[in-house]
Amino acid sequence: MELNRKDIDQILEVTGKEASQVIPVLQAVQKEYNYLPEEALRYVCEVSEITSEQIVGVASFYSQFRMEPVGEHIVKVCVGTACHVKGAGLIHDALGRELKLDGGRHTDEKGMYTLEKVSCLGCCTIAPVVQIDEVTYGHVSPDQVGGLLKDFEQNKESPKKGLFRRADGQEILGEIRIGLGSCCVASGSDEIRQAVEKSVQSKHLPVKLKDVGCVGMCHQVPLVEIVPVDKEASLYAKVKPGDVSKIIDRHFKPTGLLNRMSDRLMKTAAWLQDDSFREGIERYSIDYRDKPVSAFLDKQVTIATEYRGVINPLDLSEYRSKGGFLGLKKALANMKPQQIIDKIVESGTRGRGGGGFPTGKKWQMVADGKAEKKYLICNGDEGDPGAFMDRMLMESYPYRILEGILIAAYATGIRQGYIYLRAEYPLAVSRMKQAVEILKNEGLIGQNVLDSEFSFELDIYEGAGAFVCGEETALIASIEGKRGFPRVRPPYPAVSGLNKYPTLVNNAETFSVIPYIIKSGPEKFNSIGTETSKGTKVFALAGKVARGGLIEVPMGITIREIVEEIGGGVPDGKKFKAVQIGGPSGGCIPANLADSTIDFESLKELGAMMGSGGLVVLDESDCMVDIARYFLSFTQNESCGKCTFCRVGTKRMLDILDRLCTGKAKKNDLEELRNLADWTKKGSLCGLGTSAPNPILSTLKYFKEEYEAHLEGRCPTGKCADLIEYKINDDCIGCTLCAQKCPVDAIPFKPHEKHVIDTELCIKCDTCRLVCPEEAVIKE
Amino acid sequence: MKKTIEITIDQVKVHVDEGSTVLQAARQLGIEIPTMCFHEGLEGHTSCMLCMVKNDDSGQLFASCSMPAATGMNIITRDEEIIEARRTALELLLSDHTGDCEAPCQPSCPAHMDIPQMNRLLAAGKFDEAKEVVMRDIPLPSVLGRICSAPCEKACKRNAVDDTVSICLLKRYAGDEGAGVGSRESGQAGIGNDFVVAIVGAGPAGLSAAYYLCDWGYRVRVYDKAAMAGGELRNPELFDRLPAEVLNKEIKLIEDKGVDFLFDQEISKDHIQSFSEKYDAVIVATGTATEPDDKNPEENKPPLPDAANIFLVGSPYRQTNMAVRAVGKGKDAAFRVDQFLNDEEIIGEPRKFNSRFGKLTAPEFDEYLKESNSDKRIEPDDPVNKGFTKEEVMKEAARCLHCDCRKLDNCKLRDYSEEYKANQRRYKSDERQLVTKQIHHNVVIYEPAKCIKCGICVRITRKYQEKYGFTYIGRGFDVQVQVPFRENLAEGLKETAHQVAEACPTGAISPHLPRPQIKI
Repeated sequence: MELNRKDIDQILEVTGKEASQVIPVLQAVQKEYNYLPEEALRYVCEVSEITSEQIVGVASFYSQFRMEPVGEHIVKVCVGTACHVKGAGLIHDALGRELKLDGGRHTDEKGMYTLEKVSCLGCCTIAPVVQIDEVTYGHVSPDQVGGLLKDFEQNKESPKKGLFRRADGQEILGEIRIGLGSCCVASGSDEIRQAVEKSVQSKHLPVKLKDVGCVGMCHQVPLVEIVPVDKEASLYAKVKPGDVSKIIDRHFKPTGLLNRMSDRLMKTAAWLQDDSFREGIERYSIDYRDKPVSAFLDKQVTIATEYRGVINPLDLSEYRSKGGFLGLKKALANMKPQQIIDKIVESGTRGRGGGGFPTGKKWQMVADGKAEKKYLICNGDEGDPGAFMDRMLMESYPYRILEGILIAAYATGIRQGYIYLRAEYPLAVSRMKQAVEILKNEGLIGQNVLDSEFSFELDIYEGAGAFVCGEETALIASIEGKRGFPRVRPPYPAVSGLNKYPTLVNNAETFSVIPYIIKSGPEKFNSIGTETSKGTKVFALAGKVARGGLIEVPMGITIREIVEEIGGGVPDGKKFKAVQIGGPSGGCIPANLADSTIDFESLKELGAMMGSGGLVVLDESDCMVDIARYFLSFTQNESCGKCTFCRVGTKRMLDILDRLCTGKAKKNDLEELRNLADWTKKGSLCGLGTSAPNPILSTLKYFKEEYEAHLEGRCPTGKCADLIEYKINDDCIGCTLCAQKCPVDAIPFKPHEKHVIDTELCIKCDTCRLVCPEEAVIKE
Repeated sequence: MKKTIEITIDQVKVHVDEGSTVLQAARQLGIEIPTMCFHEGLEGHTSCMLCMVKNDDSGQLFASCSMPAATGMNIITRDEEIIEARRTALELLLSDHTGDCEAPCQPSCPAHMDIPQMNRLLAAGKFDEAKEVVMRDIPLPSVLGRICSAPCEKACKRNAVDDTVSICLLKRYAGDEGAGVGSRESGQAGIGNDFVVAIVGAGPAGLSAAYYLCDWGYRVRVYDKAAMAGGELRNPELFDRLPAEVLNKEIKLIEDKGVDFLFDQEISKDHIQSFSEKYDAVIVATGTATEPDDKNPEENKPPLPDAANIFLVGSPYRQTNMAVRAVGKGKDAAFRVDQFLNDEEIIGEPRKFNSRFGKLTAPEFDEYLKESNSDKRIEPDDPVNKGFTKEEVMKEAARCLHCDCRKLDNCKLRDYSEEYKANQRRYKSDERQLVTKQIHHNVVIYEPAKCIKCGICVRITRKYQEKYGFTYIGRGFDVQVQVPFRENLAEGLKETAHQVAEACPTGAISPHLPRPQIKI
């Protein structure tokens, strides 16, 4: 490779040559070359303060960085929780076979495609998902991967085609959900359904119709919910059959039609946060998410997501017109810093990032710190698979977060702040950057905010992909240009943080409830919730639930209310088995405890944890040992490797879970698993390690019989491929589809005869079962 | 003036400067807390978690090396839970520590002879010193060099990928040609004492016990029913392989050390009874008759008086090829007597924790050959009568792979594993790291598979601003400590090699040469 030193010089010109700038430097170098050429890194070391020890250590720590060139196109298989429970692993393997990747290679021979796993693309409602460059394929199954690559090949030159497609190339525009709760039916939702069907058919729209249960808004029936795949969902209440066609046109036709929309319909409908008509190009963004189900659900209370679907993220005057910056104004004009802290203490707010540390107490610690400098960090490094609350908040309500930050900085005497967010969230990065710029121009950030004595500088810092950097001391190490190693607390960052100065680290969601508390008063905030957990919490609801999405609920709501009422229950007639709350740090709570309330303490008592707010519903077909293995493989992979218990302990627990899921378990494995889980919890240095065993401990507690079955080599749900065999029963009609599709020729081609699977050759990819029109392929 | 803080450690109050860690406070009190990743003068890293102590008020465990002492803290540094925590940490580290402490030949030798050390000396032509090494564990090297069944050779790592080193014949050469007389330190050598020990039986076990006890300063009296020493070693079946003059020569050496032999003495149970009163200790080494049956100890009790100062040595050899086991057990009895007479815990010959990783794979053999050679095993023309020539010895000994760790005696991981009784196999996984050796350095050698990722080397090379130094590569379980940009070791460690080797708590980074000549 020919290295142009001038390019590097230019990069350093922009980033600076200080050692602390190593991550921005690496990001820029990778942007230039698509990977990190060794020669470039060596040159950086020659001409900057960055050492080779540092640059290699940092570059190899963060998963964003690549040391080898990659293929022309990156194929990302989402292995977030929702995709995992819907078979993402099989799809990854199938793509590997299709691209003929063997011997640990990730890039195919021609250098066209590089296959990667990503922890969450946030497209949980169309799971499982594969993304090639900027095209997202949803509802993928293993037998479709060949067609999927073909479709990409054929259309890669012409990006006109929709960016959300099925594996066969058919576009996905979205989903139309029709309420079929008893009230809806009574109010005529059947007629609505017929109207929707007719309209969709006549327009040839590639959308899916879905019946959903009661959403708890019985006074607004009948309900139709439109869920465009790349935009926020909208719920229409009191729909009449004659409205249907127009509603559908509004969402699934070119934007020009929007203007012709009848106002009459919009009375109770959510205005979209429709990127396509605001910014024009967002339709082609790789970054999109499953937006919240609806703003109108009775069970939800919006504080962090106030005016959901109503305000334009970057429209400052709109934010102001809805009460934005009133909190800050009030704080600066009428309140002393200590009074603000007192209000926050009184509100009972606790950190939304997972730990639940009292926010007011943290602010007090920082305020009390005597130091020449203090820092504020907004933690937006959300890395849980299946959690994207912070991203949604940063993308949709940047001003609210910034207002919270400004209030916090004023209250604690801080003049310099950072927003740390994942570079994998490009839309959030660009929104926050724009929002900060706009506020700087408006005099809300910078010298003498709102003409007060208070001055505050704020910068955006892009992380580089390490789950552990959600831990505050690791996050600080990362900003300092180091590997994201956490350290022992105390001292807490509030006492000694960034560059050893007192540092206030709060989660983005925490900041976003601050303006409400100041504006509306702490008593209003703490009237919501339970004795010890006040206010609301945003969750990403996903998995085996009829309506997944982002929800904001009051603390103290029960699991059942979330799953059955907000989420519409478990689809496909399956039985509700458990919820996994809190992602890799959380645990599984069984259906029989679904009446438990959600607050910091009760979740902990149940063996789960608030975590950052992932909430995955599991049904009877989900294997709990597999779920534990899934989360543990995530944490094991994300362990920073610093302390013994987490680095080796998580690996050894995973060894045992692997043995259990592949029929190689040893007699005392359950005992050792529990023992290791206990010690990893007790002995690890940071929250990642101490909470990593939770998915194991909670499933061991509530689903011990499943572990015992695995110990005997049985997987009761048939999820663990090594413990099952594929067979073809007498329903086989000899159509040969399975034989044609089998990637390893394990099924001889015998037209009109009953087919047989050679179990020696079978790789259990599930393809035959999926293609069989007679459901004659069974797992045993 | 610096502010001080009062904290309580193990019920003792101590005042320390503000900013001190709990570890520093404990050390100020002279309380020992184990550490591996901690290194005085370097920034803390908190990796190994061995230094965990408990906050007695909250019951929480934490790493003392980085926890600042705070007023009113009440710390316990040792209880059951803390010990288990440390043992678990060690066992986790051991599960990913691929390396042998002792070379596998050594523990497989019933006399526990330091074979690699002998080989190194032989290869260097230092035959006297080689014999000294042998004699530390086997006082009859020429004899065993002719009749030993050599279980060591079966354990030789070379066995899996090539041919085993010809250890037995090498030992024979050392015994025949070396002039050394090996000493073996005991716990409290009986130098200058007045203890007299009686040994019944002048076979290989009795001779071995007599040799070491005498060496340690005990007066030793050996009784045998035969007219001369040797016991089963004089079995006619051995005549072809073991000429009488070889045996006599080595017995003479033992006699010359000052051992009294009393022959033609039929020793009965009553004699032994009276010996136990007359002598300070009695070793009964009369062969199979006195061998306790390990499987049925109750049923097969030897018909002997039961006195605290009587020590049984079984020589289970029904076949003479296990003479080495008799020699080993005799030595072990000497240790037991020594421990008994010095009021120590009777444990026999001390055996330390020993990490081992099993068979070599082909690519690993290549790594080991970096310190050895790929020559084929030498078969002497007349193995029975002549053995090896000098040239053959030096060449064959050079085939040794030197599987033993360079830090046998100064490895923290080994010492603590011994202290906390860690079980290396507890968390053993089906996969292990492949052993590699980085030898491109004139001071140190690096074996990454032994690394426990404590990062001391990274911190030292950073502190002294090595151009490359060491860095972490990757993260989590797969993290490696390497020289950046795949530069070789010599580029990585220009200034700090000695410091790094000394500070490394395992044998991962160790001095290249010389190996300890004779370990103490």
